[in-house]
Amino acid sequence: MTEQIDKALAREYEAGFVSDVESETFEPGLNEDVIRRISVMKGEPEWMLEWRLSAFREWLEMEEPEWALVDYPKVDFQAISYYSAPKSMKDKPKSLDEVDPELLRTYEKLGIPLIEQQMLAGIAVDAVFDSVSVVTTFREKLEEAGVIFCPISEAVHKYPDLVKKYLGSVVPKKDNYYAALNCAVFTDGSFVYIPKGTRCPMELSTYFRINEQNTGQFERTLIVADEGSHVSYLEGCTAPQRDENQLHAAVVELVAMDNAEIKYSTVQNWYPGDENGKGGIYNFVTKRGICHTSAKISWTQVETGSSVTWKYPSCVLKGDNSVGEFYSVALTRGRQQADTGTKMIHLGKNTKSTIITKGISAGRSNNSYRGLVRMNPGAQGARNFTQCDSLLIGDQCGAHTFPYVESRNPSAIIEHEATTSKVSDEQMYLCRQRGLDPEKAVSMIVNGFCKEVFKELPMEFAVEAGKLLEISLEGSVG
Amino acid sequence: MSVWLENAIARGQGADDWLAPKRTQALELLAKTAWPTRKTEAWRYTPLRSVERSPAKASTVAANLLPTSVADLSAIELVFVNGRFDTTQLTDDLPEGLSITLGKNLSSGQQGEALANISTIKPERHLFGLINDVLSQDVLLVSVAEGVHITQPIRISSLSSQGVESHTRVFVNLAPNSRLTVIEDTHAQGDSLTTAFVEYQIASNAYLEHYRFALQTGNNVSIGGSHFNLLDHAKMHSTLVGFGSDLTRIDTDIIHAGKFADAKLNAMYLLDGKELFDLHATVEHAMPNGTTEENVRGIVADRSRSVFNGRIHIHPDAQKTLAELNNRNLLLSDRAEINTKPELEIYADDVKCAHGATVAQIDKQALYYLQTRGVSRARAQVMLNFGFINELIDLMPNAALAEWVRPMIRERFLQMEVN
Repeated sequence: MTEQIDKALAREYEAGFVSDVESETFEPGLNEDVIRRISVMKGEPEWMLEWRLSAFREWLEMEEPEWALVDYPKVDFQAISYYSAPKSMKDKPKSLDEVDPELLRTYEKLGIPLIEQQMLAGIAVDAVFDSVSVVTTFREKLEEAGVIFCPISEAVHKYPDLVKKYLGSVVPKKDNYYAALNCAVFTDGSFVYIPKGTRCPMELSTYFRINEQNTGQFERTLIVADEGSHVSYLEGCTAPQRDENQLHAAVVELVAMDNAEIKYSTVQNWYPGDENGKGGIYNFVTKRGICHTSAKISWTQVETGSSVTWKYPSCVLKGDNSVGEFYSVALTRGRQQADTGTKMIHLGKNTKSTIITKGISAGRSNNSYRGLVRMNPGAQGARNFTQCDSLLIGDQCGAHTFPYVESRNPSAIIEHEATTSKVSDEQMYLCRQRGLDPEKAVSMIVNGFCKEVFKELPMEFAVEAGKLLEISLEGSVG
Repeated sequence: MSVWLENAIARGQGADDWLAPKRTQALELLAKTAWPTRKTEAWRYTPLRSVERSPAKASTVAANLLPTSVADLSAIELVFVNGRFDTTQLTDDLPEGLSITLGKNLSSGQQGEALANISTIKPERHLFGLINDVLSQDVLLVSVAEGVHITQPIRISSLSSQGVESHTRVFVNLAPNSRLTVIEDTHAQGDSLTTAFVEYQIASNAYLEHYRFALQTGNNVSIGGSHFNLLDHAKMHSTLVGFGSDLTRIDTDIIHAGKFADAKLNAMYLLDGKELFDLHATVEHAMPNGTTEENVRGIVADRSRSVFNGRIHIHPDAQKTLAELNNRNLLLSDRAEINTKPELEIYADDVKCAHGATVAQIDKQALYYLQTRGVSRARAQVMLNFGFINELIDLMPNAALAEWVRPMIRERFLQMEVN
């Protein structure tokens, strides 16, 4: 058994390789000049630069948050390079044929053949390779429906009014330390606009990939679903192996206008560091959506990667009858640390929120759920249900639950429950009695444990998530 | 740092009694402690304005205050008046095996022993615990000898006059196989500020039946803690009943320092007016096979605010732990506020832990049902509130206390209805 474990534990990170693309990268360091240079590189209008600079000035005044249950060497923000672009991007490719073949091969290694995806999956892919969006596909088809799906740097030029109106409207510049940093230095990300009454004809997807060493990634995603529209957005990540910690401080903003619906799904599998926790990604992400009347925002996440995760996808339920959902599976192993959860802020009448989280800790990892449910005085008849379950595999890991429940409306109903246990001997006995080896048995039990969340994922993602979990759990069974 | 804290530190300097080493230690810690703000997790929902604005002053004037009478209780009364232990109210006929002494009256050898124990159960993180270390007049030591079962309950009353600031401190030691019942009660008049801390060392196979009442309301500040250290096979059953005041804050810490320890905590708070009540209950499972069961219920009316923080921490060695926490709240008014945070921090895998928290108003259907049976709405509301809390009152092992507290709670519900 131990042999089996050792073997599996020694498993290399499958997506861990560095593809060799010449790139133009800034010297490490952060100051106003760097921000001006980023802005120039992006050919941004003056208002955008001003916005960045004001965020930077706010950031300088702010302090790094320390309340999360994570412990890591502090980030040296002056040691990070804030811009890195594949060189061949200078004369923007018009089609896939014009794309650096090395880039395409990177995607292929990751199992994301763009062409195949275009044809088979019907997914428009806005692939972020380091900081510049390389390929945007299915643009025409989306344009037909009136849907805008483009790099946010392009949106700044093409749709300045929309960007001006909504950028920073959900996550303000000084919302938190990392969000402020993101505002100052974000290089790219996706912009989505779904017009009134439109159902987006396909699932939108962005694959992020951190490639350049020592390059922080600061994506900025803004999704606006206008009245009565519907969109499902997929985000998946994987990064190459390296030895230095990398900071990832993304901001995602969702705006769901009256009766609109946004479904945002994430599978996150960034490099978690080696067995000593060295070299993994720091994932400090701010994700928040605002729901107007009768709108719905649903966050689904499967988190298996990163050495440190600090992430709380949230919903501000501003409009009456709006709905927020959060479904999460977070798996930590090795020396991974995850402090993740959600915030549901109920402002409108009859607003509803559901939180289902499944935390799985193995190895020497620590996995925390941290959540806030707040019923403001105006949240007449609001309703929340929260269920947080934790599963422990091994006696050196930790599973923690920190839910904050605040109610200021007597007609609101809040229910929270949490359980923590290990895979029971009875369950294992039953499975093994039926001829399953321990690893299979645990995998099956864990999959069952996560089922409530997986069923919320789009089909392709659900398959990927299940597989990811299975691979991640290898060798965790004793 | 606040003026109030600076003032407290200044007053605590230069003590030369037997507690001086403890006081110095506490002063050092206080010097490093920042005055809590909204960003201080332990005081997130509990502003300390009422402490800063408190007109209370320490007093040396003798006052004649008596503990509230409880029918059929016949307890051994330990009475603190304005922070001073009132020896005249202590019976000189103590049961065999029970000793009650003021620290200053011990021999220096015994004082040394006591010093090694005091403030070791109360965690250092409690700001007002440190202030109590510095400012309490003396420490009262209660001790039950090995194998002795004391049937007569002990009641510790901290009584404060109008405008007085007082700090009381007790250390209770239960030797192996002993049994004891302790009731902590605080009564304070207006404009007063009280801190009252009691530490319990519960040795193997000993059993503590514990009650804490914080029933004073009005414009006073009452802060305190009950801290329990359980050794192998030790057991405790604790009941806490709280009304709010300008600020009432209680910290309960239960430490499973031995194997197979068992702790039960039933707590209830009933708030009205502009009261604020804050209960922080922490359970540390440091050793295996421990069990904890916590039931906390609150009813929050008018413009009052409740804060509950229930933390269960399972350390790596505490395998086979069973721990459960349940917090249920009724929010009766649209100007009241409930903040609750049940926490689990778990570092051992072979454990079963769960917590649950609910916040809601009274079940409309139940209310409707009673009204269809001819019960007035107001009365139905009182009945349902009472039923919600009475389940926990019924679990109080001491019938005399249950009968004493029941009418007070009923009274409180009637008053909530009037408002």
